[in-house]
Amino acid sequence: MNPLSDNSIMLKVKNGDLDKLGLLFERYHRPLFGFLFHMTGQRELSEDMVQNVFYRVLKYRHTFRGDGEFKTWMYHMARNVVNDNGRTLKRSIRQQELTEYNTDNVGGGFAADESIHKKQELATLRNAMAKLSEESREVLILSKFQELKYNEIAEIMDITEGAVKVRVHRAIGQLKNMYLQIAN
Amino acid sequence: MKCENDKEQITLWINNEMTEAERNAFEIHLAECAECRQELKAEQRIWNLMNEVAAPQASADMPVRFQAMLEDYKESQQPRSNPVSGFIEKLRQLWTLQPGMQMAYTIVLVIIGLGFGYLINRQSPNSGYANKQEITALNKEVHEMKEMMMLSLLENPSASERIRGVSYTSEIKSANKEVIDALLYTLDNDQNVNVRLVTLEALTQYADDAHVREGLVQSIGKQDSPLLQSAMADMMLKLQEKRSVQSFKKLLQQKDLDNSIRGKIEQTITKLI
Repeated sequence: MNPLSDNSIMLKVKNGDLDKLGLLFERYHRPLFGFLFHMTGQRELSEDMVQNVFYRVLKYRHTFRGDGEFKTWMYHMARNVVNDNGRTLKRSIRQQELTEYNTDNVGGGFAADESIHKKQELATLRNAMAKLSEESREVLILSKFQELKYNEIAEIMDITEGAVKVRVHRAIGQLKNMYLQIAN
Repeated sequence: MKCENDKEQITLWINNEMTEAERNAFEIHLAECAECRQELKAEQRIWNLMNEVAAPQASADMPVRFQAMLEDYKESQQPRSNPVSGFIEKLRQLWTLQPGMQMAYTIVLVIIGLGFGYLINRQSPNSGYANKQEITALNKEVHEMKEMMMLSLLENPSASERIRGVSYTSEIKSANKEVIDALLYTLDNDQNVNVRLVTLEALTQYADDAHVREGLVQSIGKQDSPLLQSAMADMMLKLQEKRSVQSFKKLLQQKDLDNSIRGKIEQTITKLI
């Protein structure tokens, strides 16, 4: 096994070399933050959740067997963190999401010189995403933003790959319809 | 023209989740089907637009916070890194604590016990005296009852009952003259050898009494059973009763005396003199 692979590093952490977890944090805290931000729409909360996920990775390191990918194991924990927060959050998410998405915190391709048309399009899309069901949004985030393959998503969500196919397709359909509905 | 193709394939194509063969087949269909082409275009537009929906940059201090969390965690694990010795230490503390507590309980209990005992005893002198008197009276009564029982049992026709009566004397510490007389009478006259033997034994305990000794010595001549004669000889030897020599000599003069007993008595006489 490649000594620098996620799994071999995580196995070292499991065997007591806790400092090695820093490497994995370096690799994954940004995508993880992205996932959590898209899920919750709240920046500070998402940062706290990232810490929380890595705390759980430490705490439950003995349950990592190394037969699956570290990445899917980590997202599994991240989903649990989201679910634990979920009940108290649900109501505030949509409001938050809109406000936070629309603030200047949004980076990457969202420069001031872009056309107003593009801005409107993006705003509409964010709006549409915020209106999606949790389930649909999650598969879209995992497959689009986290660039995970269907089999990985299936593992993270504890469902079959076939179910992932159906959900992603349905989610894109819903998003498209929502987008058109808002745009018009 | 209505398209029969599964629309799910469009998403699979966009997401690059198709096998080589699937993709080829789908792309052939796509070239022919305007409906699917349109659908794919719409989906892809959304999909591409999502590329531009980006999350904000995570704060730069996240790694710092992570390190702090990690250090905290390692510190919290520190005592647990040595869980066995910690546990043993705790056990040892319990161990040393426990006997102390037990000792304290014991002492307290003993003190309570002493206190109760003292209280109970302090109440007793007045009533205790009466009790004592009562007990003495009762004892005396029981004693008398036993004597009576014994006396009446000695007159019982059954030999075993008479033996029982004789054995009562072992419970009568200071037998009065009446009892002793009764025993001596039994020793001399009872027709059962066993009863007489038991009686002889019972009388031994009163051998200090001059009256009893005299009765025993006199009884020697009256015994016709070799068993009794032998027992008498043993007894006199034990008591070192010199007065019995006379009675034994008289006994030797009897013609029908058992030969072995004769020898024994002669021996006894020499020893006593």
